[in-house]
Amino acid sequence: MSNLSRRTLLFAAAGSALAACAGPGGDADEKTVTGFDGPVEGQLSFAHWRAEDKDVLEQIVASFVQKNPKVTVRQDISPSNDYQSTALQKIRGGSVGDAFTAFRGAQFTQIASVGVFADLSTQSDLVGKFDPKLIAAGTSESKQLGLPYQLVFNMPVTNVDLLAKYGYTDLPKDWDGFLGMLDGLKAKDVTPIAWPGGDAANAGQLLNTMVMNNIPSDDALGKFETGEVKATDEWFVHTLKQYAQLRPYVQSGANGTGSEAAQQLFATQKAALLATGSFMAGAVRKLGAKFPLGLYAPITTTADKAKYEGVFNATFILGINAKSSKQGAALAWLKHLADPAVAGVYANGTSQHVTVKDVEYTNEDLKSFAPWLTRKTLLAPRFQFNNLDVRSAVENATVQVVGGTDPAKAAEAAQRVIDQKR
Amino acid sequence: MRFSKSLLLFPVPALALYGTFFVLPAVQGLQYSTTDWDGFSPSFHNVGLDNFREVATADDLFRNALGNNLKFLLAVVIGQTVLALFLAVLLAARSRGSTWLRGLFFLPTILSSVSVAFVWRFVYDPNFGLANRLTGLHESYLGDEKKAIFFVAITQIWFHAGQMMIIYLAGINQIPPELYEAARTDGANRWQQFRHITWPLVAPATTLVVAYTTIQSFKAFDLILGLGGNPPRGALDILSTRIYTTFANNQLGYAAAESVVFMLAIAAVTVAQNRATRLAHR
Repeated sequence: MSNLSRRTLLFAAAGSALAACAGPGGDADEKTVTGFDGPVEGQLSFAHWRAEDKDVLEQIVASFVQKNPKVTVRQDISPSNDYQSTALQKIRGGSVGDAFTAFRGAQFTQIASVGVFADLSTQSDLVGKFDPKLIAAGTSESKQLGLPYQLVFNMPVTNVDLLAKYGYTDLPKDWDGFLGMLDGLKAKDVTPIAWPGGDAANAGQLLNTMVMNNIPSDDALGKFETGEVKATDEWFVHTLKQYAQLRPYVQSGANGTGSEAAQQLFATQKAALLATGSFMAGAVRKLGAKFPLGLYAPITTTADKAKYEGVFNATFILGINAKSSKQGAALAWLKHLADPAVAGVYANGTSQHVTVKDVEYTNEDLKSFAPWLTRKTLLAPRFQFNNLDVRSAVENATVQVVGGTDPAKAAEAAQRVIDQKR
Repeated sequence: MRFSKSLLLFPVPALALYGTFFVLPAVQGLQYSTTDWDGFSPSFHNVGLDNFREVATADDLFRNALGNNLKFLLAVVIGQTVLALFLAVLLAARSRGSTWLRGLFFLPTILSSVSVAFVWRFVYDPNFGLANRLTGLHESYLGDEKKAIFFVAITQIWFHAGQMMIIYLAGINQIPPELYEAARTDGANRWQQFRHITWPLVAPATTLVVAYTTIQSFKAFDLILGLGGNPPRGALDILSTRIYTTFANNQLGYAAAESVVFMLAIAAVTVAQNRATRLAHR
């Protein structure tokens, strides 16, 4: 081997070693960004977490492609918790997620902070199709970076017929009344609440309604991370004691129950309430439930002290990747989704309300949930957590209490983790 | 024989691959472990050994995951090794029945861990699951804070015992049959034959099984996430899932420090186990 080729090899090896150890923080590969005026063509990646909406979105893709024959749309779907964990890493390079979605709260804030959202503020013909009251969760520093698409109610779903059968047509408006109703249902051999305590993603949904009147502020749970509130505070220990009161009224082995099993209990009319949210209506229907569905949030205070009746969340925040080379096509895709007729297909096909104006809801469940669009509801506090470990500590405390742990001890253990991790 | 310098080129592709995909990421991991990098920001700070100090002294979640991992490891290593050896001894004889049974016991190994987790989630479901139906119990299984990790261990044993059985079968088939004939002539019963012939002579297989099972137990990531959700509750959190949660929490520097400790823990346990296996076979 000549001296030159040996030296070349040496330089190449040293160069690659230095490049690899150059330190964190390097940016992903640069691509040509075309801007919103770019052509509506090529294969568009739409990254999201709603595998259950895939078929309905395929219908919408088909109508989009019919209008724009030079473009195709690929759905890049990850399970919701994985999406929460890894979406930012995947989409920041721009190869996945020309158009993408984000969860309200921590994920939206992170993605916005690294500049992955293209600014939609100037796209008035797109933004104007949404209800302005419901898209605030997509703004950052006065810019409209994303557009929340789904409007869900993170509160227990009810079997209206079963409750009516046992005389519960007007549902209780205070905690004692709620416990009385649960007691009455249990006496009739009905499991009052199906609760997926074994599924971290859904076990925590009940926390939204359990705290909405105990500490009626939509950033209350986020204050765990700043230290402004503590798990050992009286209001939270009181909330945990209320969880302890629910022990006799959830299904046997609730802490080991997954979402599918909880849905099954509810769909087969063995349970009267499904303590998750309106987003499970579609899954319950797929399991064969024919009865009318309603929504109900337990009021944890006396009726006169209750500030809110329920909880909502505007999420599935649509955005366009600032690193995408197909921003023109991505914008056209978002405009298509924002068309009231198309949004209606999505809403009625997935049993979820949307934030788009002038949508006609034909789905019976959506019609039944519609009164909640104008009731006194709180933006879901659970989604104010930015730190997964802090969120888990708080939510695990509730699960452990239902499993038999003393509320004060669970609160202390949670606070210890919060102090270490916040 | 004349040594040609051009021979030095032959290991270059392997060394390049090893260097690129193992050495450099490992060095980079060490480098990250001394920073507070969040995984996406352009800037970061060097924090020296602070991450390691925190892991060692002020992280209940990591300590809990380590404790769970050791419980899981003990249960799986003991349960899986004993079951694999038991099955191998029973099925060592060549017959149509034993061949069929070997295939049956090996079957779970070819399934994906996600499928296994999905199936066992239904087995363990307190209301509809097979486990409560068969036993008549009212256990909550994965919901039981103290026992949940052992129920995952049972799934792991079911999943991989057949694979370890094959390693033991290979070891047993290497033992000369004359040794058993001589032992029988001397009046040794089946237990004595096992204790004084089979057990010492399958030592290499045992070392392999124990080491492999140990590493498998530390890395039972997908099975835990499949059974316990993401992130799993404290009762099901093990080191690999803890590191993933830290990474997902945008603390890449801290996750790298946890990974280094994780690697050291695997090395320490493997060395200790090798010594224990050698002692047990003396």
